[in-house]
Amino acid sequence: MTAEVLDQENRDGERKWRRRSLWSLLLLIPLALAVEAYDSVKALLGNNDLFARRVVWGQSAQFGGSDWKLTDLRGAFGMSNLPPDSVPVLADFQVKIGDPNLQNLWLGCKIVLIDKDGRRWSPTSIVSLKATGNVQTCISAIFSGAKSGDTLNLRETFLVPKEATKSIRPAVSVASERPHFLLFQLEKD
Amino acid sequence: MMRRLANIALLLVAVAFCYGLQVSKPHYGDLIGPIPARGKPGDTVVGRGFEIHAEKIEFARKLTVDQYGQTKILTTGGVWAVVTAEFAARAQSTVVSVASWRGPTGLTYDQTERLSFMNGLLPVALDPGLPRKARLIFELRPDEVSNATLLVSEKLVAALDSQAEISLGPVTTAADGLPTGTVDMLDMAQPL
Repeated sequence: MTAEVLDQENRDGERKWRRRSLWSLLLLIPLALAVEAYDSVKALLGNNDLFARRVVWGQSAQFGGSDWKLTDLRGAFGMSNLPPDSVPVLADFQVKIGDPNLQNLWLGCKIVLIDKDGRRWSPTSIVSLKATGNVQTCISAIFSGAKSGDTLNLRETFLVPKEATKSIRPAVSVASERPHFLLFQLEKD
Repeated sequence: MMRRLANIALLLVAVAFCYGLQVSKPHYGDLIGPIPARGKPGDTVVGRGFEIHAEKIEFARKLTVDQYGQTKILTTGGVWAVVTAEFAARAQSTVVSVASWRGPTGLTYDQTERLSFMNGLLPVALDPGLPRKARLIFELRPDEVSNATLLVSEKLVAALDSQAEISLGPVTTAADGLPTGTVDMLDMAQPL
């Protein structure tokens, strides 16, 4: 075998591997981007309520290890000292505790009202209505020490403009279930 | 020979290009800093999460406030600037917490903490469809009043989030060195 033939073979081998390397970039670049973006995408999904699970009126839904049921959504009309054209709205839930590890499962618990345009109202501190019985908020329930099988009554108070009251629906989200959240339908839906 | 010269030329072009990229690169603080939403008094400045409409700016030598049923007078070695603004939430409930006054020389004044007990100051909780008014109160050096910018944001660190920047424009100065129209006393107990 002459040196010239050997040289030609080496050159062919190099060309083949160069081509393979270039083709492999088609796979490696998207893979590198995916690995790099994994944590960001995970954080994005874990911090946002993106996918609604609709719950029909009167039904309960398993969420964050417990059974959630909307029992009432009503306006508290006739209060004074409120911004013009605003209405306090009370959302009441009955939650049957399944997994009592609420401090992990209910972490970041958020109850909001969502209207037909996607606007979201968080609970207000402007209105404070005295609740009867053992009524708690989502956050206080986390530290209530509730056991499996207990039933908790939760209430959140919101302040919404009158024009939005017809289309608002309550939604519940917890960190352990995000990006999914519960969107409760009303009797009239 | 030609090939070598072409390679050297290509290398020089690459070096010049990289240098250009380096010197035109924005500062890291600018890349992750607040995103300005600019306007002037009377405009509705729209940010990501909130809107602000600066209605009026008043200057005073003294402020009177009610604290626990007693009237208190707050004096200053400079001048009080009181901005009345209407705030509105956009798509979801939010809290606007931070406002500062950036003077023409770049000196930046946070809101005064001398009236922290008073209602109607920031932080203000906002719900969509329910605008609210609030006062922003600053204690300033008189030479920092003209051509100032009001900076308002939801959080102290408004990284990659909107910051309303309202250019307040020129303010003429009276013989006493204070802005023209400065009143002796402003009553902060007056409703907004």
